[in-house]
Amino acid sequence: MTKFKKYLQFMMLPASICLFLLLSIGTMAQDSTAAVPVKKPVKGTFESNWVLDNQSVMVPIKGTLEMDMQHRFGTVRNGFKDFYGIYAPANIRLAFSYVPMDKLQFGFGFTKERLQLDLNAKYAILKQTKGGIPVSITYFVNTVIETTPDKDNQIYVTNGDRMSYFHQLIIASKITDRISLQVAPSISHYNNVEGVLDANGVIQRNMKNDHVAIAFMGRYKVSEKMNVLINYDQPITQHPGLKKNTNPNPNLSFGVEFVTSAHAFQLILGNYQGITPQSNNYFNHNAPFKYTTADGTEMKGGMFLIGFNITRLWNL
Amino acid sequence: MKSKLFTAVFILFASTLLLVATSGFKPSQGKPWPVPDKNAKMANPVKSTAESIKAGKELWVKHCQSCHGKAGKGDGTKAASLKTEPGNFATPAFQKQSDGTLFFKISEGREDMPSFKKKIPDTEEIWDLVVFVRTLK
Repeated sequence: MTKFKKYLQFMMLPASICLFLLLSIGTMAQDSTAAVPVKKPVKGTFESNWVLDNQSVMVPIKGTLEMDMQHRFGTVRNGFKDFYGIYAPANIRLAFSYVPMDKLQFGFGFTKERLQLDLNAKYAILKQTKGGIPVSITYFVNTVIETTPDKDNQIYVTNGDRMSYFHQLIIASKITDRISLQVAPSISHYNNVEGVLDANGVIQRNMKNDHVAIAFMGRYKVSEKMNVLINYDQPITQHPGLKKNTNPNPNLSFGVEFVTSAHAFQLILGNYQGITPQSNNYFNHNAPFKYTTADGTEMKGGMFLIGFNITRLWNL
Repeated sequence: MKSKLFTAVFILFASTLLLVATSGFKPSQGKPWPVPDKNAKMANPVKSTAESIKAGKELWVKHCQSCHGKAGKGDGTKAASLKTEPGNFATPAFQKQSDGTLFFKISEGREDMPSFKKKIPDTEEIWDLVVFVRTLK
């Protein structure tokens, strides 16, 4: 690996932060010069920071402290044997976020899988207005550090190999009082990818470092307190997969959401077990339906699992 | 021996019940809640329309119903655990309060009743809530 490449890897985080700040400053400058009456933003497009496995377009109001508790059980395929995955090993994430100024949220979280520590930020670039702007746009970025102990550098050659990044542009619209839709293209980047020896004994990448995907989400408001949610993630990048198919699978998830003044509860049935978005997009091997990949590999379908998201809000 | 043990357990249980029933529950519904004149005289800028009632109802269900109940009778799921009795909003005594008074009480809060000025920073939405509370009579 060249020095230049290592340098690029380490620059991903500061570059992300700079891009993020530039976007913030640009939008603040526009706000300060606006003297014309502003149309009121549409509220309640989504009612939590989460839409099942993805971020929603929402950034909570200034001064909001949020605690997230997320759980993904094992797949339901074993039935009573492990009670539909509830007794199987689970993935857990505990996270906190805070909104120090309008439209901007910072957060961090801890995920059990590969002992990931994530640092994230979310910024509302554009807000849908009544009779005006048709969509809301939010940018989400995170950086994950895998903290798995590796004394002899068996997994990570350098500390940079522990890092991964995720960028997502979230575009949403509240179509009616009951229906909201969201589309969110994303790019995940892993510094360290799996390698395999080719016929000449040379190490080749089994997956690309970057992975592009797109997510589609919808919400149907059943009542003031209850929503039905649906989410579909489609991988776009095709990976080399020299010795086996390494393309991640799509994800289909459904859920119900119960919202109160300070909480949102989401009960989920989906394929993703990773919780952190880059892990989900890059490593998902649970398929929603049976299908054949481009290289002819038969993928088994119906690998669903139960999960939940709980958020608790405080207004400081 | 068994009957003595039973009597002792019964006395202990009854004493505990009595203690719980007589301590800690201090309803303060009757306690005066002074509202500054200038706040009490504020007029509601939001007219009562189907749209504002709907917006107010959404906020009510999300933020108020768990204590005050679906119809504002103080019978929400959390009501039993409150030290401050939530009261009955359907009574003439409650409804004779001015819109400004209700706005002030929702914004500022008191004891178990939280302040909503941070949670609902848009004042127009609090006025929507006042409009909805007027439908509870």
